[in-house]
Amino acid sequence: MKSQLLALIFQLLLLLALAPLLSGCVKNWKSKLQNRRGPRVWQPYFDLAKFLCKDMVISEHASWIFRAMPYVLFISTLLAGLMMPMLSASAPLSLFGDALAFVGLLALGRFFLALGGLDPASAFGGMGSSREMTISAIAEPALMLAIFTVAIAAGSTNLSQMLLAAQGPTWKLINPAHVLAFAALFIVLLAETGRIPVDNPATHLELTMIHEAMILEYSGRYLALIEWSASIKQLVLMALLANIFFPVGVATDWTASSLGLSLLWFLGKLFALAAAVVLVETTNAKLRLFRVPDLLSAAFILAALALLSTFLFQ
Amino acid sequence: MDSLSSVLLLKAALCIYGVGIVGSLAALRRERIANVVGFGSATVAAVCGILAAVLALTVEQGLGGSFELWPSLIPYVKLTVKLDPLSAFFVLIVSVLALAVSIYSFGYVRGFYGRKNVGVLGAFYNALLLATTLVFTASNAFFFLIAWEIMALTAYCLISFEHEKAETRSGGVLFFIMSHIGTGCLILGFLLLFQASGDYSFDSFRAVGHTMSPARRDAAFLLFLIGFGVKAGIVPLHIWLPMAHPVAPSNASALLSGVLIKTGIYGLTRVLFDFMGTPPNWWGVTVLTIGTISAVLGVLYALMEHDLKRLLAYHSIENIGIILMGLGAALMFLHTNHPVLATLALIAGLYHTINHGIFKALLFLGAGAVLHSTHTRNMEEMGGLIKRMPKTAFCFLIGAVAISALPPLNGFISEWLTYQSLLQGFGTTGSLVRLMFPLSGAMLALTGALAAACFVKAFGVTFLAQPRSEHAAHAREASPTMILGMGLFVAACVFLGLFPTTFLTLFDPLTQQLTGQQLSAQLTVANGLALANTQAQGGTVSTLSIALMGICLLPVPLVLWLFFGRHARTRIGPTWDCGLRGLTPHMEYTATGFSKPIRMIFKALFRPRREVQREYDYSPYFATTIRFESHIEEAFVTSIYRPLNRAILRLSRRMRALQAGSIQAYLIYIFITLLLLLMFAL
Amino acid sequence: MNPPQSELASQWITLLAAGMLVIQLLMVVQGMLLANIRLFALQSLMLAAIAAIIAYFHNATHVYWVAVLTLVGKVFFLPWLLNRLVRRIQIHQEIEPMLNSTASMLLCGAFTLLGYIVARPFTTLERIGNNTLAIAITLLLTGFFLMFNRRKAITQVLALLTVENGVMLAAIALTTYGMPLVVELGIFFDVMVAVMVLGILVYRIRETFASMDVSKLSQLKG
Repeated sequence: MKSQLLALIFQLLLLLALAPLLSGCVKNWKSKLQNRRGPRVWQPYFDLAKFLCKDMVISEHASWIFRAMPYVLFISTLLAGLMMPMLSASAPLSLFGDALAFVGLLALGRFFLALGGLDPASAFGGMGSSREMTISAIAEPALMLAIFTVAIAAGSTNLSQMLLAAQGPTWKLINPAHVLAFAALFIVLLAETGRIPVDNPATHLELTMIHEAMILEYSGRYLALIEWSASIKQLVLMALLANIFFPVGVATDWTASSLGLSLLWFLGKLFALAAAVVLVETTNAKLRLFRVPDLLSAAFILAALALLSTFLFQ
Repeated sequence: MDSLSSVLLLKAALCIYGVGIVGSLAALRRERIANVVGFGSATVAAVCGILAAVLALTVEQGLGGSFELWPSLIPYVKLTVKLDPLSAFFVLIVSVLALAVSIYSFGYVRGFYGRKNVGVLGAFYNALLLATTLVFTASNAFFFLIAWEIMALTAYCLISFEHEKAETRSGGVLFFIMSHIGTGCLILGFLLLFQASGDYSFDSFRAVGHTMSPARRDAAFLLFLIGFGVKAGIVPLHIWLPMAHPVAPSNASALLSGVLIKTGIYGLTRVLFDFMGTPPNWWGVTVLTIGTISAVLGVLYALMEHDLKRLLAYHSIENIGIILMGLGAALMFLHTNHPVLATLALIAGLYHTINHGIFKALLFLGAGAVLHSTHTRNMEEMGGLIKRMPKTAFCFLIGAVAISALPPLNGFISEWLTYQSLLQGFGTTGSLVRLMFPLSGAMLALTGALAAACFVKAFGVTFLAQPRSEHAAHAREASPTMILGMGLFVAACVFLGLFPTTFLTLFDPLTQQLTGQQLSAQLTVANGLALANTQAQGGTVSTLSIALMGICLLPVPLVLWLFFGRHARTRIGPTWDCGLRGLTPHMEYTATGFSKPIRMIFKALFRPRREVQREYDYSPYFATTIRFESHIEEAFVTSIYRPLNRAILRLSRRMRALQAGSIQAYLIYIFITLLLLLMFAL
Repeated sequence: MNPPQSELASQWITLLAAGMLVIQLLMVVQGMLLANIRLFALQSLMLAAIAAIIAYFHNATHVYWVAVLTLVGKVFFLPWLLNRLVRRIQIHQEIEPMLNSTASMLLCGAFTLLGYIVARPFTTLERIGNNTLAIAITLLLTGFFLMFNRRKAITQVLALLTVENGVMLAAIALTTYGMPLVVELGIFFDVMVAVMVLGILVYRIRETFASMDVSKLSQLKG
């Protein structure tokens, strides 16, 4: 009981501390690839501290939904993160939620995020909410089908079980189902975290923004919570990709040395994934909104092929 | 308590409904008394019904007795009422809905004072509840059909309550016609069963499917699927739902969507699981496919609606699809001889049935309160209602979160169970049919995400932002009884969401009767805290723990405030308007605009028709007025029903020639018929 | 018969065959001609790799020649030729295909399923890899689909070449480590000559009709 509580607190702190670092790395490396100096890797921490101290301006048309949304988003994202195995094979909340609850909690956060965009009666927010809900709806079948492929191979929807099955003999690293499901989930990662080619995280032009549009009216500490939640969501989805598909170096016991080694492996995998994301962002242009379903249906077909591969390549 | 007490309570419920009918009609002139008598007796009867059902499912474990409503002198027509576990479950659904909706109605029908006759409304309301309870508990095919017809008639009367509007009249008539097409198929189906068993009582029908020839069995399956499917609202038999449910008074709409379409599900469950025995594989595949298609099409058409009640009606089609996915999967598992998985899928489908009843009724009641205040069903004329009707908005929000299958509410639990049964289905068979399970799961994920998008639109456009019309700007909060009715549903949603393991124990006698398995112990781990899926290392979920952990994590942002933001202040300011002063409600995002991306993506399905007309004096580039119309007609109406309509009318016109009008011709017809009969008898 | 490394070989061949399938699907939705040519080169590279792995693990030296031929011809020579052609013609983008992107993808998914169903009775005859015959049939079907879905002649040539890739894959998978070298050489040079002729023809079509749209070639009527 006490060790579980400790694991919970430790994973919570890890989530909170690591997420801004990952965002900062992505921004910095993207700038370096584009021949700019770019912000420091530690900049998001300073940004968060700055937002938390600042005054807030709230729209006169906003209701309690506007004020409640940052909390709901933050807490649902943290809960989803606590269900994901990061350093050790068993996540703190794995009894309370499996992969389906994970997706459901992220959907809950997104629901309230979209409502928070509509609340201040601004057209930007409405536009952002509309686009965000559309894209997430089209991405959902691909996400679920890829998760199903892994769950069917592992025989369970429990995330820790999926990780342990991936370490086992049947799920070989170069299995086609493995590779195809990873590719499908990578595209869904780009869609869910709002990266190019789906959304541009650095723009404020109304034609091109989706996530930024929904949070345009937020300021001060609400904005801090929302930005932090976005970083945590990115961290959690990357952890899903890293740990379920490449479960190398995940700790199986609770000694300090194995946890330390596991932390190093985890950081290595995360940075490799972040580098891949940066590469994709830099070499591609943002897609027109009505071309995004083409990309996501390609992800769906990849996931369907991954499913077919489970018995196609017996 | 003696074992007849559930029967006693059921008798009491039926009598009190009858009292409600008579009382409402008696108090035809005095509105207030009719209101209190009619809906008060419905409330009391509903409480009796809930107690009867719970007793039957817990204490008596399904061994309750039966009784005859009236001794009938006609052979084969016995008016037997029996409360076996499946009936008790559905009586629980109808009674819970009746209780909350009746309490809501006390305040709601006050809007009809002076305009329409409240006594008539109360009488038909009680009659509908009585007929529905009898449908669920009838144990004789004839009695079932009689109760079914009475239910259809009273539903028609309720739908056409505001018959001065043309829309209402056409909706009611369409409902009536489709309902009778279904009843015709049902009669044929029951006749086939009678042929095999020799009697009309449901007890004699049990497992009669084994004794029927495969052709008769398949014919019966199709007839019952069409008959009950019309009532449930499966695609393509669903066209009456979006026309009939919006035009009824809102408490009736809640009952229609909450209970009436569940009679179709009750019928399908009763026939397919109780009467038909082990099904061939194509039955399950058909039901699963129909369920998936209904779910996806229902939610896609719902996204295109900006009439609040029509949107909710289309969502009923979607949720019936989800229920049928569970039932279809259960049929496939029965065929491949996996009774535990079949029970899991059946539980998933039936759990979703009660969940849908509750949150759909909640949403309709909320829509009714909004309609009551703003006098319009069109979402594009609402807005900003959350500040003027905060409690209604909160109840509607809970309903929206529940129907979008978001944790920790009840919609998530039943979808979780459905996903688990579909996933485990992949390993049950080696044929290619097993691909259907994950693909249906992916489609279920698509409908869940689209439903969330639709309810962001519905809640956001209706309640948030600024009011878009005068009525919305001066809306008043709903009356206390209306809030109480909605609050009961909110409590039910929360209870069913946070305590699924407790509720699952009610399913034991039900599944024991239908598939011979009792799963509630296998579905519970960690002392009843978490829900499992019968596998040892399978996924588990505990919505109660998620909710509690969420509350425990609240200190994290608060600690951050304390450290950093102690001196930060909050100001109220205008929304960012790009520097132009004065944001008007016209600049807000509309419902049509919100769903435009989906409309563009699924253009091939919707085939939207756009019309732009402009009037100009000198040149079309300087138009004085521009009129834009965008219209989506349902694909099934244009491709199936309209051509069918035209073909029937063409045939009828040809046959009209037979009615020549002359007496000679009619005499010759009679003579020819006589000759043919004589030759046939030879 | 099977040395222990055959397991690893089998895995790699399966992975490369799946890679060929994914590249084929990408070609179906890709609109830029130069990118299509690069994808074809990548696919041929994977085929050459498969041939090389088979040659190495089963000590069949004539399959090495197949690998080298594929490498030289289909990975370097033919793409260079087609690249030169595209640059001379100055047309870089495909016109709207007949079926839109999402529908094409779903149809190709259905073709994959069909390929698997058709290849199921033959699985016992396969020596190497698992179900590479299914992938070969899928490459055939999607190649033909690509041929009639697109309208520029160059893409149709590429589609024909991917069909040939599929045939090669089937030959390697089904028979005893590849067909006799003579037959392979024959097919190979046949296709090479066809492509060179088509290259000249395409240039002529462009000059006559000022476009590469084959739907304009409608004069051959009765």
